[in-house]
Amino acid sequence: MYRRSFKDTKSSLGSPNPNFSKPMVALRFLRALSLVRCSGPGARSPSYRARGIRRAAYACMAASAGPRRAWSRALLRKIRRRPGRGLRRPRAVIRRRRPVGGGDPLEVALRRLVPGGGCMEYCRLLEEAADYVKCLAMQVRLMQTIVDSASHVNSID
Amino acid sequence: MEKETFWSSNGHSGDVQPPPAMRSGSSKQSARCFHNLIWKQPLTHDADLESALSSLVSSPAPSHPMLSSDRAVIGELIGRMETICNSDEMSTGSQCHSAKNSCYSSPLNSPPRLNLSAVDHRHGRGGLPVLLNPDTGALCMPFSDDQWFADRTASLSRCGGMFSPDFEGKFRLPETPVQLPGASSSKSLTGCRTGGAQLEMETRSQFGRLLTLQGAEVGDGQEESSTSDRVTAEATSLNLRGISDSNSKKRKLPAKDKGKESATNLPNMAENSDAKRCKLGKTNDAVENSGAAEEATTKTEQNGDTGQTSSKDNDSKPPEPPKDYIHVRARRGQATDAHSLAERVRREKISKRMKFLQDLVPGCNKVTGKAVMLDEIINYVQSLQQQVEFLSMKLATLNPQFENMENLLPKEKYQVSGAMPGPLYPSEMAIAAYPCADLEAQFLNPQTQTMQLAAMDGLADATPQLAEFWEGLQTAAQINFGHDHLCGKYME
Repeated sequence: MYRRSFKDTKSSLGSPNPNFSKPMVALRFLRALSLVRCSGPGARSPSYRARGIRRAAYACMAASAGPRRAWSRALLRKIRRRPGRGLRRPRAVIRRRRPVGGGDPLEVALRRLVPGGGCMEYCRLLEEAADYVKCLAMQVRLMQTIVDSASHVNSID
Repeated sequence: MEKETFWSSNGHSGDVQPPPAMRSGSSKQSARCFHNLIWKQPLTHDADLESALSSLVSSPAPSHPMLSSDRAVIGELIGRMETICNSDEMSTGSQCHSAKNSCYSSPLNSPPRLNLSAVDHRHGRGGLPVLLNPDTGALCMPFSDDQWFADRTASLSRCGGMFSPDFEGKFRLPETPVQLPGASSSKSLTGCRTGGAQLEMETRSQFGRLLTLQGAEVGDGQEESSTSDRVTAEATSLNLRGISDSNSKKRKLPAKDKGKESATNLPNMAENSDAKRCKLGKTNDAVENSGAAEEATTKTEQNGDTGQTSSKDNDSKPPEPPKDYIHVRARRGQATDAHSLAERVRREKISKRMKFLQDLVPGCNKVTGKAVMLDEIINYVQSLQQQVEFLSMKLATLNPQFENMENLLPKEKYQVSGAMPGPLYPSEMAIAAYPCADLEAQFLNPQTQTMQLAAMDGLADATPQLAEFWEGLQTAAQINFGHDHLCGKYME
């Protein structure tokens, strides 16, 4: 459900915005949050909601990063694929352009961490990792702000 | 063609055989010419330079009439140089020279200066080479018109890909005008090994790859040896080389071509020089030391072989350039084959990215070393992902009351498309915004009665504000304010 909402947000918000469009990320995220809550506020357990919120966070982060980034594409693909899409599209993306030798354990770990990091060259991996770190930090700050505001509201009330 | 052969033969100070890879038809002629010019003279770099100059200048330039006036003057000079250098067969050299000159629009400056320099050349071979003045650190050219000589050497270098205007410009010292051009030229001579590589890169567009490859390595070797002999002050030579090194950049060449070129060049060069090049091409110090050593030896020996040995530095020069995309220049003392250059480019890219990552990840400024940096980055990414998990859990438990507000916010936000007016009354907004959501919380949040009570209290307190807020919520501005509040907090 919130997947659909993510698509809507992406399409409605239109053009590939630059990486640092914090308002857009916040907007998307809040919208996604609301949708998550809509989906099952009472019925679902907090953990289910938490997972949904996490997916929402990653999805809106990837959506705001834009399709130009390999990690955002891979992340969205991973999120949208989860519900068990049986039918693989015939025009599948060539996944392994260059299978990595993986001699360096650090490099392998980084590849696993960064979404879509298995297929990239080392240079590209570092670049995508930098962008991913940037977006991740922004997302974390956004969520922290929301939590703080919510707890602040709760505390003062 | 001619130039290639010319310079390649120059480089083979001891090698009489022209490089088999020479493609020009006139290569044989030039090779022969240069063999006679260069290798029969037991002179130092001066002789080589002179012969090079003579060969360049003396060419009647039948095919290139544009520089005829210059050539006439140069011809005089060459004549003198011939007598000095006992070089014959200027005809072939002149062909090369003409060919080279044609490459460059106007490498030669004023003809009147040529006359002067021609006169100066009468001083003898000793006058031609540049003497490094340890006191001044500049090269004192015995010529009255050093500028001309500098230009000549520049043109020579351009022709051979050894020098370039940029190279000269780099090394021009802000010293006496007499010394300055001499210094530049001498520097160009001394630093030819490194600078030649650089210059060749710069002038590659003029020459085919083969030319620069051969000429650079060969010619530079000769120049290097010859100049090193003359350099009395090692410090200055070291400085020059340091300058050339500092100026070196990297140029990326087509891997295959370079590999081919270097492959062809290496066998062409003297075998011993190749080996020495590979050995000594590693560090600047090594080169300088070898150069210094060569100075002593070449002075005594004055052999083409010494020139060859000094040509070891040649492998610091990367072969040509041309074409495409990223141009890198091999640094002094580094291998010039295609693979190593490409690897160097890649390594530089990686280091650039690592530096960028270092800025992103907090606390990585003190860390040096790729492995530690990578470790820090991985830890940071993992911590960020864990934070996302934790915050999402917190949000899930904490804010079921967000529902209404989120629904409202995005709708309004679309109109703004990123325009964020300053948050007005953020505290009020915060208070006003959340209590409306708290209405939901009462029903949705089973966690604590206290929370619900607090929500209700807040709601009660904020009721008048809430009403206003709800009205305001319908307007884009107020929505923005509320959103701004959120955004402002984390944007700070």
